[in-house]
Amino acid sequence: MSSANPGLAYEDTPPLSAPLRFFLTAPLFGIAAGVLLLADGELLVSRWTPGALSAVHLFAAGFMLQVMLGALLQILPVVAGAGFPAPLRIATITHALVGSGAASLAYGLGAGSPNAIIAGGVLLAAGLLTFLAASLVALARAAPAQGASRTPRDLRLALGALGLTTLFGIMLALVLGRGLALPFALPTLVDLHAIWAWLGWGGLLLAATSWVVVPMFQITPAYPARFTQLWAPVTLAVLTLWSVSLLAGVELAVSVLGSVLIALSAAFALQTLKLQRSTRRSTPDAPFRAFRMSMIALVGSVIALLLALLHDAPQWPVLAGVLVLHGTFAGAISAMLYKIVPFLTWLHLTQARVRAPNMKKLLPDVLIRRQILVHGAALGALVLAVFVPVLTPLAGLLVVIEFGWLLLNLLHAVREWHRAAHA
Amino acid sequence: MTSIAELMTHDHRSCDHDFARAETLAMKNDWDGAAAAFEAFAEGLEAHFRAEEEELFPRFEAATGMTQGPTQVMRGEHADMRNTLAQLRAAVQDRDADEFAGEAETLLIMMQQHNMKEENILYPMCDMHLGEQRSTLVDALGQRVTHEYAA
Repeated sequence: MSSANPGLAYEDTPPLSAPLRFFLTAPLFGIAAGVLLLADGELLVSRWTPGALSAVHLFAAGFMLQVMLGALLQILPVVAGAGFPAPLRIATITHALVGSGAASLAYGLGAGSPNAIIAGGVLLAAGLLTFLAASLVALARAAPAQGASRTPRDLRLALGALGLTTLFGIMLALVLGRGLALPFALPTLVDLHAIWAWLGWGGLLLAATSWVVVPMFQITPAYPARFTQLWAPVTLAVLTLWSVSLLAGVELAVSVLGSVLIALSAAFALQTLKLQRSTRRSTPDAPFRAFRMSMIALVGSVIALLLALLHDAPQWPVLAGVLVLHGTFAGAISAMLYKIVPFLTWLHLTQARVRAPNMKKLLPDVLIRRQILVHGAALGALVLAVFVPVLTPLAGLLVVIEFGWLLLNLLHAVREWHRAAHA
Repeated sequence: MTSIAELMTHDHRSCDHDFARAETLAMKNDWDGAAAAFEAFAEGLEAHFRAEEEELFPRFEAATGMTQGPTQVMRGEHADMRNTLAQLRAAVQDRDADEFAGEAETLLIMMQQHNMKEENILYPMCDMHLGEQRSTLVDALGQRVTHEYAA
């Protein structure tokens, strides 16, 4: 019956501990990235320094990926009627593999240890393949999407891009760790891995989530139907053509298609900012402002990428990376965590027939606001440190405080939940 | 022809706008205005719930034989939202801005995750299973919800 009745997936909401474990360990990787910045003043000099590669993977595979996977466990049943088979077991396996894999990979890249790189790559790939297989089963059991929303379709596309990112990643681990010979230059594979990770997986996931989150929670007009209909498929198609051109060495096509990808990213950020300007909520709260700031950072990263096309200095790609990873993704992810975690604890109490404190008692606005301010300060310091390396340790310190505070805020909600549950 | 999904999704958004108006007035400490806007919102929300519980869900259950499935979960969430709505009404009566902000945030998230399930899963299922009676059902639902839908 369950396969014919996706509605039963409503009851498949995973236990609270399934997503929560991802959310609570993810900030530890942000703290570790901050410590690296604190310790290595030369880290942001180029995107190729061991420290930069390590910090990027602490951010991307440690912080971002963990939160994204935890959130997908929760959101796929709600928006796509796709309940994971054995969600707690999938969470346990994926969390252990991805967490240890990210740690090992980041250590290997930073310390130049081939074995740690291979181990990290294999653990990460095993965790992601487990997750992807489980989500394929969940989506296959769900009814085909018939609603007007493009979110379920675009989540599927993002998961496909995650698969490809994983494939490029494991190839890179084999090149770096075992000397696998490539028929093309190493930077080509690095670029493929990075762009599929950022835009194919991260960008599509952020967009698919925004299609529902921005209009519904920030009470704005809907994204134009044509925009959501086309944005993700066109982006993915151009990304594919760009990748083929890169592999074939057709430089003109790489430049033209690369510019189209930059324009598509800018279109998403500007469209979102435009909608947010017409919110009907009079007093934007801290998560709303954090989300807006993350879209402005995305516009900034687009400008940095354009500068990188025009001018060869090593700072522009690093600046774009800082603005995308820390500004756009860490900002948007923090904003979403501040909605997801208090709501899940509230929901869990309500389902247990306990009278739950309201959302703002579970996690007061003032705590969120202060942490978001530190996030803004950390972003500003990181941007400056790209040009003034002596500021790198200061930026690192702010990043440590930012993610430490994020963790404390999330633990605050968990503590309030415990208190209410045992009152 | 208007679908069930279009009509009911439009009513969700209209309820959101009523909610935002009440929230805006409460945050400005205009409690008389907030009380009136809140009651308009509560009335629209209740009309929407009852249109579903008394018209849409019974027909869906009759057409599919699923009485313990999605509609049952939706009824349970309606009950949770009615509880939060009562807390919100108390906050308006007490003119307690902090309490109002917290309960409003809770209700908004509750409403939106509920709306996502209905708009992405349940309404499309209703349009699929209730094809033959769709036009009469859309008329009946349109008369019960408070926000007019201009197709």
